Amino acid sequence: MASQGDDAPLVGRSDILPSIQADLFAAGPGGTSAVFVTGESGVGKSRLLRETAEAMRAAGAAVLFGACLDIGDASPLHPVLQALRQAGAHAAAGEAPDGAGALLERVSQELRTLARGRRLLLVLDDLQWADRSTRQLLLYLLAGLGELNLSVLAAVRSESLHGSHPLRRVLAELRRLRSVHVLDLAPLDQDATAELVTAIAGKDVAPEDADRVYKRSGGNPFVAEELARDLRDGRVELSDTLREIFLSRVDELPPHAHDVVHAVAAGVEPVEHELLARVLPLPENELIEAVRDAVAHRFVTSAADGYRLRHQVVAEVLAHEVLPAEHTARHRRYAEALEAFAGEPDHARLAHHWQQAGEPARALPSVVAAARAAERLYGFAEAYRHWALALELTPDADPGRTDLLAHAAESAHRCGEHQRALSTLEELARRDDAPGVCALHLRRARYLAAAGRAATAEIEYERALAASACTPSEKASAAAHLAELLVHLGRYADAGVRARDALDLADRADGSTADLVRASAALGFSLAFREDPDAGLAVIRQAVEIAERSGHPDDIGCAYLHLAELLTNPLNNIEEGVLVARRGAEKLAAIGQGRTYQTRLLAIAANGLFRVGQWAEAEQVLAAAMRHRPSGADAVEILLARCRLWVGFGDIAAADRDLDAVATILAGGGARHVMPMLTLRAGLAMWQGRHAEARSAVQRGLTETRSDDLVLLGVLAWHGLRAEAEAQVGGTVPVDAGAVRRLQVVVDRVARNAGSAPAPVRAVVDGYLDLCAAELSRIEERNDPELWAKAAAAWDRRHQPYPAAYSRLRQAEASFARRTRRAAATTAIREAYATAQAMGAKPFAAEITQVAGRARVALTGDEEIVTAVPARPGDELSMLTDREREVLAAVAEGLTNREIGQKLFISERTVGVHIGHIFDKLQVRTRVQASRVYLRAA
Amino acid sequence: MITESVWGPVQREMADVLATYPDDVPAVVDQLTKLQDVLDRVPPLLGSNPVADFNKQYLTITTCVLERLYAGSFADPAFLARLDVEFAARYFDALRQWSDMSSGCPKAWTVLFHRIPCPDARPLPSAAAGLNAHISYDLPFALVTTFDHQGCDPVDDSDQHHDYLHLNDIFAAQIPGLRRGYLERWQLLVDMMNGDLDDWWQGGVVEYTRNVAWRNAQRLWTVRHDLQALGRERGRLDHTAEAVGKLLLSPMGAILQ
Repeated sequence: MASQGDDAPLVGRSDILPSIQADLFAAGPGGTSAVFVTGESGVGKSRLLRETAEAMRAAGAAVLFGACLDIGDASPLHPVLQALRQAGAHAAAGEAPDGAGALLERVSQELRTLARGRRLLLVLDDLQWADRSTRQLLLYLLAGLGELNLSVLAAVRSESLHGSHPLRRVLAELRRLRSVHVLDLAPLDQDATAELVTAIAGKDVAPEDADRVYKRSGGNPFVAEELARDLRDGRVELSDTLREIFLSRVDELPPHAHDVVHAVAAGVEPVEHELLARVLPLPENELIEAVRDAVAHRFVTSAADGYRLRHQVVAEVLAHEVLPAEHTARHRRYAEALEAFAGEPDHARLAHHWQQAGEPARALPSVVAAARAAERLYGFAEAYRHWALALELTPDADPGRTDLLAHAAESAHRCGEHQRALSTLEELARRDDAPGVCALHLRRARYLAAAGRAATAEIEYERALAASACTPSEKASAAAHLAELLVHLGRYADAGVRARDALDLADRADGSTADLVRASAALGFSLAFREDPDAGLAVIRQAVEIAERSGHPDDIGCAYLHLAELLTNPLNNIEEGVLVARRGAEKLAAIGQGRTYQTRLLAIAANGLFRVGQWAEAEQVLAAAMRHRPSGADAVEILLARCRLWVGFGDIAAADRDLDAVATILAGGGARHVMPMLTLRAGLAMWQGRHAEARSAVQRGLTETRSDDLVLLGVLAWHGLRAEAEAQVGGTVPVDAGAVRRLQVVVDRVARNAGSAPAPVRAVVDGYLDLCAAELSRIEERNDPELWAKAAAAWDRRHQPYPAAYSRLRQAEASFARRTRRAAATTAIREAYATAQAMGAKPFAAEITQVAGRARVALTGDEEIVTAVPARPGDELSMLTDREREVLAAVAEGLTNREIGQKLFISERTVGVHIGHIFDKLQVRTRVQASRVYLRAA
Repeated sequence: MITESVWGPVQREMADVLATYPDDVPAVVDQLTKLQDVLDRVPPLLGSNPVADFNKQYLTITTCVLERLYAGSFADPAFLARLDVEFAARYFDALRQWSDMSSGCPKAWTVLFHRIPCPDARPLPSAAAGLNAHISYDLPFALVTTFDHQGCDPVDDSDQHHDYLHLNDIFAAQIPGLRRGYLERWQLLVDMMNGDLDDWWQGGVVEYTRNVAWRNAQRLWTVRHDLQALGRERGRLDHTAEAVGKLLLSPMGAILQ
């Protein structure tokens, strides 16, 4: 906690300061960096923050300070908005009509303006008290989405991290990034404590006194400093506890200064001078004198924006000394003083003081206002806590309670407190003036579905459909939602029935466009999955027309999204799906609304373009999507799509940057995107030849994927087997037999279950199973061109050139190794090369070139083969020197390099060199393959 | 200056092993394997001390969890894997804090750690005491963190609840000679003595014992935004787990052997 103007020197941290600065300046690929300092209270975190900030400012950085509040329910983004206000920026706090992303972008804009092109250092003290919105903003900025060269320096009390604090998880994820450092600040050692003591109390302090300070303070610099002052001031009896130290000091304060300290301790920092003047009604000069004393006695610090306690420990010590009556009286004075100010008060702060003043009823208006303000800032978690508090403050009999319950339930639902949402809804249902039965069924069903309790949600929708009190349009809504739920559950036949019900009901009752679109989409997917794709398409196309007539951006966005998804995914009509997605995004752009839908549509378009091999086009679409400044899950979606492209292009730095950005955002939660991130990580690692990394990404993926997600399991198994096959061929990393066995089990399971999957799913899964079978043949050193040709054909049928070309390369490689069907192999590798060139897949093209070089095949041009194939058997060994033949013969006998060396009287290393040459000349990669060639020729 | 070391000759290796933070279940198994190797070399009794005995059981259990994850036995493997990582992280944290001689090390664990140099410790009660600290103290917090991170909440009868019970069964099945539910029943006894069984517990003993960590997690979940209340709950859980641990490590614990 803020303690300023220390006169004691900074001791025992001489190495730490420069290393923190270096870490903060060494930004990662996204232009951002962060250092989180953890440590116990009083260990010197704030001091370190301040010293670093000064040094960074001197080095040319813009610096912004924010402190988080411990009042439990601060308003969303409080520390950052406060820091901005302090720096003179204003606009950020207002309403953002176009979603949470727009709000984050506006805050970033303010920060960019302040930074004026410099590196911006955002210093946040007491981060353990930060609200969820602030944590999300931090992750957004650190992911580089704010387009800001930002360094974050934050302090966290280590006591808070022990239990289940959300920061614990966030820090655990972030510390894996190269641009983030978590520094655990330890107490001072004995020597450093002694140095601190002599710096304060003078050189002639007896060593045993310094030792006593060390023992009693445990090396905590804050305590040690105070004890050293006691020594210096001749207080012979060293106090045993912090409490004693401070209480004896408090007693020495003049009466008015005493009041100032207590008042500041009760306030929400910083306590402005005008506010303090109302809370402590003293004549102005006396008040100023009193503050001066409090500062001189090192209890209070003064800054332009107000007063703060020197250290939070003081507040904690004083809290035990204050009588309950004094406590409530002080907070009442604060509340009254805040209300007396003109203009809109800080509701969260006002509510806190009325609460503490023991007059919760008077807090109610502020609590409700704070809840609404939080909702305007998309801080639903904070809003929910305010609504819940408002409920606590409102007796059962109060008619206003019904409205509060409705709000509380909805905000709980929106911030993922499913259990609370449901129990609050139940209380709402029991009230006399509860909403209608139908509305309750629909809400309950919606909450249940969000909580993952699909079966119970289904029952609720059924109840709504059966209830006589429900209007046809309400029933249409229930049936449409139910159909949507059933599609998610994979019950396509049931979904189709419900969707038709919904469309009939909506037709008769003039139902809402949103329900029509929802029901049409569900019907479309249900038909497509049940092998009547044309009928499915027709239904969704109709929904698009209806949505366009309604003109509402959400309807339009939703309808286009469903159509594009249907086309690209189950129907595999990628080209048309891409067109639809882009047209939808253009329509919304023309209206100027529906930012989130535009981003999602562009993501679909980009992923489709990637699959059909139009990578340059995909890159442009993604750049357009990034200009919409996506946040949260949408941002992750776009970043993953872009990263996939970088991996393909072989732009490793860009791929690393986007993977880091994804990991940063996901540190705040979100299980859905972890798998795509892991597959990309595995893919990238494989191009870089980092098998262990690829392997562990796949292993993690396999342990965390649901057993019914066949496509994902197929992708992961293929990546895993490919990594093992590369290990087998490369020869530097041994094949992990256990991993191969486990992968085979997964492949078998997927193959077993694929039969009962719907046709569109089966088609994709089969493609991956083909790849897996072929990779397995590679691992088992029977690399089979037929299996690869089969895989290539499967991916051709799906119009996906990338995996098809990969299969062709391996087919050619296998054929060259077996010396069979060379002409077919040459055609295959040339086709693969042409595809790779067209897509811009550099690492892939490089690998093709390598294989072709070894096989002496020209990749372009008309001439069939550059060098003649050995005409007669036996000539295969003709290009080997005599020595190489001797070595090869020994290899074929199964001797190790060492044994060969002993036999031929040469060093083990020379044997290795010979074997390398032999492999090159014979175009083989393993000893087994080389032996095979030798035995065939002999 | 002489630095004291709690791990004697393997202090350095212990620090090296604890320098990494496992991210997934295979990595947790790997970390536990490396720890076993180091713990087995802690004097005075090589190959056996309370922590080594616990670690051995825990390694077996976690290997079993990993196998079932590979076999696709859990309804929500992403949840369960994260829970397993979070759960293990708390044991590793306790070891780190003990290594650093930090005052933050949970009492539930220190009762066990203090017994490392005692040659009279018996393997089974030691393992049970470790599992007690881990299940009674660490598991509720691991559950809360996992739910928070996955964006869902501890709802009875959900996929996650079933997976939790499955995990619980793995723990129960892997303690040879320790009768099923024995540990929990002691916990129940101590809870009763402390008057900690309040109105949320209305079911029978069996329901309670299987769900003890789950119920505690639900209780923590409701106060997780209130740092003070959370601190009080933490103290309460630590105290209870410490009491059970002392009981297990006392001569009474010998009846388990």
